[in-house]
Amino acid sequence: MNNILEVKDLKVSFHTYAGEIQAVRGVTFNLKKGEALAIVGESGCGKSVTSQAIMRLIATPPGEIKSGSSILFDGKTDIVKLTDKEMESVRGSEMGMIFQDPMTSLNPTMKVGAQITEGLIKHQGLSKQAARERAIEMLRLVGMPNPEARIDQYPHQFSGGMRQRVMIAIALACNPKLLIADEPTTALDVTIQAQIIDLMRDLQEKTGASIIIITHDLGVVADIAQRVVVMYAGKVVEQGSVDDIFYNPQHPYTWGLLRSVPRLDNDEKEPLVPIEGTPPDLFAPPKGCAFAARCPYAMEICLESDPEIENVSAGHSAACWLLHPNAPKVERPVEVGGHHNG
Amino acid sequence: MLRFILRRFAYGLITLWVIVSLTFILMHNLPGDPFANSEKLTPEARAILMKTYGLDQPIWIQYGAYVKKVFSLDLGVSFYYPTRSVNEIIAGTFPTSAQLGLFAITIAVIVGLTLGIIAALNHNKSWDYFAMFTAIVGVSVPAFVIGPLLSYYVGVKLGILPPALWKGPEYWVLPTITLSFTTLATMARMMRTSMLDVINQDYIKTAKSKGLSQITIVFKHTIRNAIMPIITILGPLTVNIITGTLVVEQIFAVPGMGKHFVQSISTNDYTMIMGLTIFYSALLILAIIITDILYGIVDPRIRLSKGGK
Repeated sequence: MNNILEVKDLKVSFHTYAGEIQAVRGVTFNLKKGEALAIVGESGCGKSVTSQAIMRLIATPPGEIKSGSSILFDGKTDIVKLTDKEMESVRGSEMGMIFQDPMTSLNPTMKVGAQITEGLIKHQGLSKQAARERAIEMLRLVGMPNPEARIDQYPHQFSGGMRQRVMIAIALACNPKLLIADEPTTALDVTIQAQIIDLMRDLQEKTGASIIIITHDLGVVADIAQRVVVMYAGKVVEQGSVDDIFYNPQHPYTWGLLRSVPRLDNDEKEPLVPIEGTPPDLFAPPKGCAFAARCPYAMEICLESDPEIENVSAGHSAACWLLHPNAPKVERPVEVGGHHNG
Repeated sequence: MLRFILRRFAYGLITLWVIVSLTFILMHNLPGDPFANSEKLTPEARAILMKTYGLDQPIWIQYGAYVKKVFSLDLGVSFYYPTRSVNEIIAGTFPTSAQLGLFAITIAVIVGLTLGIIAALNHNKSWDYFAMFTAIVGVSVPAFVIGPLLSYYVGVKLGILPPALWKGPEYWVLPTITLSFTTLATMARMMRTSMLDVINQDYIKTAKSKGLSQITIVFKHTIRNAIMPIITILGPLTVNIITGTLVVEQIFAVPGMGKHFVQSISTNDYTMIMGLTIFYSALLILAIIITDILYGIVDPRIRLSKGGK
């Protein structure tokens, strides 16, 4: 089995007083061993919910992973069907997670050392001393200067970038097969962002862990990922290799995302190109394509029924009526590498 | 750390001095004097009494003499009980009040925090509703309702426990329950709110993502972060409760300090008012210093030794 993770028809809803929010509406993707996969999309598209569903970190209630969803991990265990107790032994040992804001994701009243060793003691049964040595080793691995001293410090004594390194050390302490990073650089400033991404790429090479990185920064995608899943309104609209997505995008939403990135190599002062409009209300998702209301190429059929996922080439697929044989030919508004046409 | 504590004590003394001065001025501006209510006194006898106690002196001289005495720890002789010094009265009644108060605060902390934690962990389920119902009853039903009810039903009707007085362990139960009720309810509500706040923090999600069990997360990560607001109110609350409460002590005929607070004001017992105020303030200042030290132990971000950030 070559896939570390197979997500099939994942549906997650949240039950609120106002009704049921369908945050994730049938997401399917695979992750190969040793691969780095990026999930991109705007806020509220369900990318964080997807990642938290994989770690079963969604509070139930109000959340609910719908029946029919399956998350096959390491070819054998269906995460959705595990009991809470069984899940505890998977979390932290088989998969680790890094969160968006390092300023709030470490416990302020605990020494960072204790926060790293906790998982080691629980999952690997290490003695306190052995766990401490391993924690120092982890801190050194994530590029923490003077780890022997810093292990006894509290989170408030670290900068944002250093805290994110601690988070990475925590997530990787037990040598997980899968690392999920939920917007790991969003809360950091730009120079630190690059360092953290470099570090993650470096660690992936060293440990061979598979990575899911959630981001809305296409620069991060290009830096670290081999494959990309583009999500919109709780569904996968396009997925493929990084080259497919950057050089041969098929879905108008992907085009919009690529066009919205400001370019450095353009001399003229050019206004930013946003995707007009707002995402649909997930209390009552539209029956047709969720992107139709914002799509400049929308046809009648787009409002009527949701497009099936069409294969474009091996490993590259998109869900758009434009890919239908009878659809009119539309010229892509983005050139190779994201240059604007016209 | 030691320097911090010493500095805080010095500030505490200054605070105390300000309190002494303010109380002194306010008290002397109250209408009447300690002997104004005794109609049987002839004007001559009154004048002699005033002279004996130095009340005929100009106010700043009285003030000077009083402050001097206070700093030698002598709170003077009561005007109302002329044979007893204020020091004696406090020494005689405070231990009882403190004992009752400490029982009550201990019960309140243990039961209140437990209720709050259970409520938070079962947010919007029946346990939560039960705990919060108890808390609302506790906050809204005053001690003068709960006290007599307990005393009558448990003490008189059922006869399980003595309905009043303070003579031994079985006498302690009903006053302790009555006194702890309000505080317990406050603690439960506060702890619940604080726990719910912490449960939604990112670092709890981090703890969960490490695969820790629910129990480990609650005890190692949640409670310690949720307990800060409790520590903040615990100091003043304890001082308040151990210095005696008029209502509970009257209902159960507990020979505590509570009644002296009220009586001293209504009889213009100058030395008693001053003595109790100083005693109460000193305890409060001490409690606040202890609270600050506790902060540092619980939350490393408020470590005091490094220049008190």
